[in-house]
Amino acid sequence: MSLETVIRSILSTLFLASVIRISTPIIFPAMGGLIATVTGVPNMALEGIMNVGAFTGVMVSAYTGNVWLAILAGIIAGVLMALLLGLFHIYFKTNLFIGGLAINLMASGGTVFLLYILTGDKGNSSTVKSLSVPNWDIPVIKDIPFLGEVISGHPVFTYLAFLSVFLVYIFLYRTRFGTHLRAVGENPEAATTLGINVKTSRMIALAISGVFAALGGMNLSMAYLQFFQKEMAAGRGWIGIAAVHLGARKPLGVLLASLLFGFADAVSNQLGSLNIPSQLVQTIPYVTTVVALAVYAIQQRQAALERMKRYQKEHWEALAAHKAE
Amino acid sequence: MKPIVEMKNIVKIYDNGVVANNGVNFTVNKGEIHALVGENGAGKSTLMKILYGIEQPTEGEIVIDGKSVSFKSSMDAIDHKIGMVHQNFMLVPSFTVAANVVLGNEPIKNGFIDKDQVLNVTKELSDQFGLFVQPDAIVDSVNVGQRQRVEILKTLYRKAEILILDEPTAVLTPQETQDLFKAIRTLVHQGKTVIFITHKLREVKEISDRVTVMRHGKMIGTVDTKDVTREQMANMMVGREVFLNISKPTMKRAEKRMEIQNISFISETGRPVLRDVSFNLYAGEILGIAGVEGNGQTELVEVLTGLKRSAGGQAVVKGKNVLDRTPREVRQKGVSHIPEDRLTNGVALKESIEENLIVDRYFSKPYKKGMMLDYRLIENKGKDLIRQFGILTPNGKLPVESLSGGNMQKVIVARELSSNPYVLIASQPTRGIDVGATEFIREELVRLRTEGCAVLLVSADLSEVMSLSDRIVTLYEGKITGVFPDAAKVSEDELGLFMLGIKHQTNEEMEKFL
Amino acid sequence: MKSFFESKGFRELLRIVLAVSIGLALGFIITLFVSEDPVGAYKSFLLGPLSRLNRIGDWLEESLTLILLGLVICIVFGASQWYIGVEGQMVLGAMAAGCVALYVPLPPFPRILLAFLAAMVVGALWGLIPALLKAYYNANELVTSLMMNSVALKVFEYILKTFIMTPKSRSISSEFIDKPFRLPTFIPDWPFLQTIRELWEKQTSVTIMVYIVIAAVIVVYYLLFKTPFGYELRTVGLNTKFAHYGGINVKRTIIMSILVSGIVAGLAGAHLTLAIHNKIISNMTSGLGFEGINIAILAGNNPLGVPIAGLLYGYLRAGSDVMERSSDVSRELVFVIQAMVLLLVTAERLLPTIQKRVAEFKESNDSNNGSKPDLNKVKEGDSHVA
Repeated sequence: MSLETVIRSILSTLFLASVIRISTPIIFPAMGGLIATVTGVPNMALEGIMNVGAFTGVMVSAYTGNVWLAILAGIIAGVLMALLLGLFHIYFKTNLFIGGLAINLMASGGTVFLLYILTGDKGNSSTVKSLSVPNWDIPVIKDIPFLGEVISGHPVFTYLAFLSVFLVYIFLYRTRFGTHLRAVGENPEAATTLGINVKTSRMIALAISGVFAALGGMNLSMAYLQFFQKEMAAGRGWIGIAAVHLGARKPLGVLLASLLFGFADAVSNQLGSLNIPSQLVQTIPYVTTVVALAVYAIQQRQAALERMKRYQKEHWEALAAHKAE
Repeated sequence: MKPIVEMKNIVKIYDNGVVANNGVNFTVNKGEIHALVGENGAGKSTLMKILYGIEQPTEGEIVIDGKSVSFKSSMDAIDHKIGMVHQNFMLVPSFTVAANVVLGNEPIKNGFIDKDQVLNVTKELSDQFGLFVQPDAIVDSVNVGQRQRVEILKTLYRKAEILILDEPTAVLTPQETQDLFKAIRTLVHQGKTVIFITHKLREVKEISDRVTVMRHGKMIGTVDTKDVTREQMANMMVGREVFLNISKPTMKRAEKRMEIQNISFISETGRPVLRDVSFNLYAGEILGIAGVEGNGQTELVEVLTGLKRSAGGQAVVKGKNVLDRTPREVRQKGVSHIPEDRLTNGVALKESIEENLIVDRYFSKPYKKGMMLDYRLIENKGKDLIRQFGILTPNGKLPVESLSGGNMQKVIVARELSSNPYVLIASQPTRGIDVGATEFIREELVRLRTEGCAVLLVSADLSEVMSLSDRIVTLYEGKITGVFPDAAKVSEDELGLFMLGIKHQTNEEMEKFL
Repeated sequence: MKSFFESKGFRELLRIVLAVSIGLALGFIITLFVSEDPVGAYKSFLLGPLSRLNRIGDWLEESLTLILLGLVICIVFGASQWYIGVEGQMVLGAMAAGCVALYVPLPPFPRILLAFLAAMVVGALWGLIPALLKAYYNANELVTSLMMNSVALKVFEYILKTFIMTPKSRSISSEFIDKPFRLPTFIPDWPFLQTIRELWEKQTSVTIMVYIVIAAVIVVYYLLFKTPFGYELRTVGLNTKFAHYGGINVKRTIIMSILVSGIVAGLAGAHLTLAIHNKIISNMTSGLGFEGINIAILAGNNPLGVPIAGLLYGYLRAGSDVMERSSDVSRELVFVIQAMVLLLVTAERLLPTIQKRVAEFKESNDSNNGSKPDLNKVKEGDSHVA
């Protein structure tokens, strides 16, 4: 396979559609992570909550036959896990990362434990019939050549994910509560003196992040795939956190970062069909993050140094002028 | 004049037993500018925290505008139209000025924040009270004076009628202070009442109508400002001679120990904090830097001790330049440092006293024996220092956080002085600690100087600077404005003029004595 | 002496013991709901590892890995670094050790020694990138080390599948390491111990790693609490600004803390290859990635407490295996228990909050005498509070 073939396949509708598809379960936890992070309580349990959401959605849909009920159940489960983390961190002073680790542990252990009890299988839930969310063939857009194939026809969750970026932006920057959350994250003392309850705000922020993470999980088990698998989140919760940092904690930036990860993941899949061993190619997203974080950090340092050099030059010139008088 | 605030018989005892307010009666009349003065620890901040609802009194009553009130939190105080501007600003750095003004109670249209209204409201308040701000600017990028005005606007946005300002001029330049006073007069002219906490007596005379003096948690008295002199106020504040008599044997000018040449420092926001500062430190002498906090003293110390990078200059000790070197290299040349921020820099709270005492010497003999640390020796040395410096603790293995403030400072002093320093840089060495420890530390500084060390003393306590120093240098806006070779021969008033940049010696005059 | 019971150390110990007990109790409650024979299941969980010699062996072997992982975290947490790249260091160390044991043409003793060395060096070096980024540019070490884990796991898989894998085995793994190059059993080859030795050798695979791990615990303890490096590390961990002010080279200390932890992580990897599996196999580190944190927290971040914590969790994990094999309860229960214990142990304010609530409850029941604090008795203290 030549380079030309590779490039051509990357520019294909199939590939671009796959980027959108693969990015979705990253955008969800990233958005959740964003809200929690700007409020000062970065949610380290996104991974575990995704697993819990994925599991709950599948199981409830199998037992009730109702997709929407299942989604609601998944969201509730996610919120409860997030609140548990909040309870221990905010009220009992458990360290956030360790608390997150505990929730993740509970989630991976708990989901497999319950999976075995409910299905007798420890690997996945394919023995029960769970449902998936419908796809949406967008009326006019689906007929547009090229663009239509890329954008239309995805599961509802995908459109929800992209919409949520916009909603999160409005929430954080245009509503009172979202603004208060940002204030709490940056200067909790100031927020307190203005009557904003820091603890409550943080609990709510965590709850919201739980909703997003749960949706992300359900996106995995109820959209393209129709079953739950052990450790289904496969690190996406952590990538979501990485995306928050990479995106400089701004909704648009986080979206772009999530798309970057999705793109890298999709590319590694594509390149896997060339005889490049898939594992090395699969490291691309992770290496990208490290490189991006490094670049960002180094750039910050450089910018500060540049600024200081400029100030110094101005200062010395001013001194010299002053002496000349 | 009608009283708008009456605090009756306020008692506040903290959990650790400290009596911060002991039966204080404090009355403020409507429409007046009332100064509340006292030394560090007199109880004035606590009293205002009670008035603003941040603390609850152990006993006593608060009456606002004739009605008895009980504040559970500052929100209650705000509801009663009381606003407070703290020393450390409560602003969100990434938000705009206007967003900070309305924070917590943003104007809403259709469920969303009304951005236009946010700007309008800010502009209106700013114009009405003569408090100039740039509503669109990001708070992180505006200067200190403007940030303070934002804080004041915040209180006005919440309809404050009574404003409490806690040491507002501590971080302002003289020009900004004048702007602030103008704004205060405008506020009062429009019916507001202002309570003004300060320890700067000159400002009390300049702006206030009445002044209340506190000392050791008690109220000493309230007088009309025009009826009292600064000396009288000072006497009420301290109750004894403000100026200490510390006996120092006269020393002859000995060898140069540190040559500080053309040092500059620029803050992260681009402000030149130190401009071309040069002076020398001599053996057997305490050189005191007199200046209002915020004129570059802190940064000067940080740059000389290796904690921050300079923007130029040299500091030569024993023939080598130690400026812009690591703290260890600076220390290796014999420069010790008592830091201004003792909890942040001077100690590791959860580490043992013994281990705190060795941070500058653990890597050399005899503390390091082969590849290990000799903890038996560390323990013994620790015991020696604890005894020598009178540190009150049953056991050197306890964490430093178990000590009182004064004793913590003694740990720092013990460490820095016991390394037999060539040069000692002491920044705010007795700030906020009890009388006993203060006296002890001052005596130690003098002893060190008499034994030949060169001491650089930076202190906001002018009486301390004047009593301890042999030679004084005044620092104003990052420049040396004057040098006084005999500290005993200069008056506080004279120094004040140089500290405020009102007077300025010429380079020729200063050269001889720097 | 009475002060011992009031001391912080005792309270912490109490909290840990309480947390473990509550965790186990909650585990039992869960078992009641899901099992047909809860008592039997839980009995096999709690007593299982002791029932047979080979199970005791499993317990000890697993504990050794956990102890090493706990030591790793003691080191990085001691410096207050949120470095979680242990799994990456461990897995690559495992590969390095395995490669040396399989392919390097040396006689047994030097080969095994070299294997260990290779593992430790690789483990240390793998932490270099996050360490440098954190020390020099203050890049978030949590995220970078997390990413490095994933990279390491992929690289491991790649090398395994491409170069090392043997079609002979059922799973994705290398050849078995030949007998002479494996670690011998831990009971020494002395005459009067022969019968015991044969027994242990046949039933278990506990190796001389026991001694190596004991040595590691002692070395790490001494390193952290008796050497200048340890002092630097702990001081940086407690107050970085103070360390810098005092002259400690903070950057170098941060980097070294991660590298040193990598040495121990590599050792853990070597243990996996040379003792537990005797080959390089895929998913070697599954489930171990963050266990070190569990162990270290349980041990109060004290290297001397790590063996106890490691043995405890090793016991519970071995027990959960027995439980799964002999009852209807799956082994994942132990993870749920571990999670609950972790939450409870680190909930510093849980005990005080409960105490406060109990006190408040009592107070509201007692009649209020309205006693006021006596102003004359109270002394004026430090002025810095006002």
